[in-house]
Amino acid sequence: MITGMDRLVAAINGEKSDRIPVFCNLLDQGAGELGMSLKEYYSKGAHVAEGQLTMREKYGYDNVWSLFYVGKEAELLGCREILYADDGPPNVADFVIKDYDDIANLQIPDDISASPAFSEERECLRILRAEVGGSYPICAYITAPMALPAILMGMDKWMELLFLGPADVRDALLDKCREFFVKETRAYRDAGADVLLYANPFGSTDIVPMKFFSEQALPWIEKDIEAVGSQGVVYYCGSARFNRVIDVVLEKTGIGVYYLSPLDDIAPAKEIIAGRGLTCGVINDIPLIDWSRSEIRDEVRRLIDAGMPGGKFLFGTLLMPLAIPEENIRTMLEAAYEFGSY
Amino acid sequence: MIDESMVEETIRHYNEAIFDTDRDRALEMVHQALERGMTPEDIVFKVVLPAMDQMIKSISEAFDTSLAQHYMTAQIADSVVAEMIPKFKQAPQVAGRVVIGSAEGDLHSLGKRIVIGCMRARMIEVTDLGVNVPPERFVDEAVAHGASIIGISAMMVHTARGSNGSLGVRRILKERGLEDRIKIVVGGAPYRFDHELYKTVQADAWAEDGVTAAGVIAELAEEVRT
Repeated sequence: MITGMDRLVAAINGEKSDRIPVFCNLLDQGAGELGMSLKEYYSKGAHVAEGQLTMREKYGYDNVWSLFYVGKEAELLGCREILYADDGPPNVADFVIKDYDDIANLQIPDDISASPAFSEERECLRILRAEVGGSYPICAYITAPMALPAILMGMDKWMELLFLGPADVRDALLDKCREFFVKETRAYRDAGADVLLYANPFGSTDIVPMKFFSEQALPWIEKDIEAVGSQGVVYYCGSARFNRVIDVVLEKTGIGVYYLSPLDDIAPAKEIIAGRGLTCGVINDIPLIDWSRSEIRDEVRRLIDAGMPGGKFLFGTLLMPLAIPEENIRTMLEAAYEFGSY
Repeated sequence: MIDESMVEETIRHYNEAIFDTDRDRALEMVHQALERGMTPEDIVFKVVLPAMDQMIKSISEAFDTSLAQHYMTAQIADSVVAEMIPKFKQAPQVAGRVVIGSAEGDLHSLGKRIVIGCMRARMIEVTDLGVNVPPERFVDEAVAHGASIIGISAMMVHTARGSNGSLGVRRILKERGLEDRIKIVVGGAPYRFDHELYKTVQADAWAEDGVTAAGVIAELAEEVRT
């Protein structure tokens, strides 16, 4: 039987499998599968693992996630309050950094693997590795050091510090976030994650001007990847576009996988990557909530037609909103399997 | 008499500083222009507001602008206008009244902050209701402040589409017979990915980004007033 890992490895190597790899990022939907509230679901790594395995089996796509919700990283750094909703992802409700004095006091755990806040993720990864390790890529979400302060102090406060200083406070925070990033990456790799989504909105020219990207963001990205190596790392800018910087990121970091924004053009991205890496074309999953069957099939076909020629292509989603009807998820995936077949 | 070439030079340098996200240089341009005899009114109406309009034009023409530039445009405009208004010969006319906040369940505040900075520079009186605002409070505060616009920011799909966001505000406006007097403007990431979403949530208008939003709100406030 051909597995998701077989498809991913074939695509990375520019070879043909039965079809292109298809990554479908369902998180909150796992709670519904297990018939529990989001708060109960995310309280146990065993629940998240079961949800991930159940959904992959049910829909037949090629990946599973160890990610609970993005605010989980803030919990590793001391956040104690998460706002739960019935119909969407949990959010950080209490910022760890309320004023600049808190930056000096921010403690990075020595061993994240041993941190109590990581115990449920570790359990989730243990189950995923036991059940599908080596067969289906196990994904982990790791926020880049330049983006991590946004969930520790709020995006507006971080923008203020990043662009207006004081520079010594900003640099002290970035150094701590780098230390966390390196340790967190190690913890995920040790626990069995194969695919590390390096999430960095500041690596997109939708978020920062090209001048800032070249002078500030890129050197940080280079140092990040130099510290952890590019093995399994996926460049992703949190749904923001980054076609304009792919070439220089590829050249400077050696990252081999690019998970585009739904707003990026796939064909130009493939031209820029030019066989040096895997291009991941991503569907805009917000209108997917309301699209008709034919609209979904047309859009999937459009993306695959743009990306599949020449190989080295993966079809993917963003973090799928809970409001997408199950029927639409199935329609999208069936279309991806059909149009993505060799 | 102000030398027009000096005005043009100030505008050019100020715009360059904004696009480079360099607040210190932008403020230096403003202070130099003041020293050389430009009036506070001209600084606001001939430099700061045209710079915002230039940013909107660049966005609409798909010229590359970024969130950081929008943020810096708003922050600089807000601080320059706050400094200049007390120096005006006459207090400026209020161009409209707005209440703004993040939808219930939504704790994101950056987009709202950009809109607020740009609105203040346009002489719009803004009441910031903060984050996680229930629909009843949006309406109550709009009535209390005599606002003609309710601005609702939502960065997540469930807070944009949920019954306690724009849909909830619409329901209350309808129940209280306020729909002619108070309009709803929405913004945030989900709207950028689905341009028809503002209709689904029964808003009157939306904007792609914070700088543009302030312009959309100013136009709508003017429509309601006339």
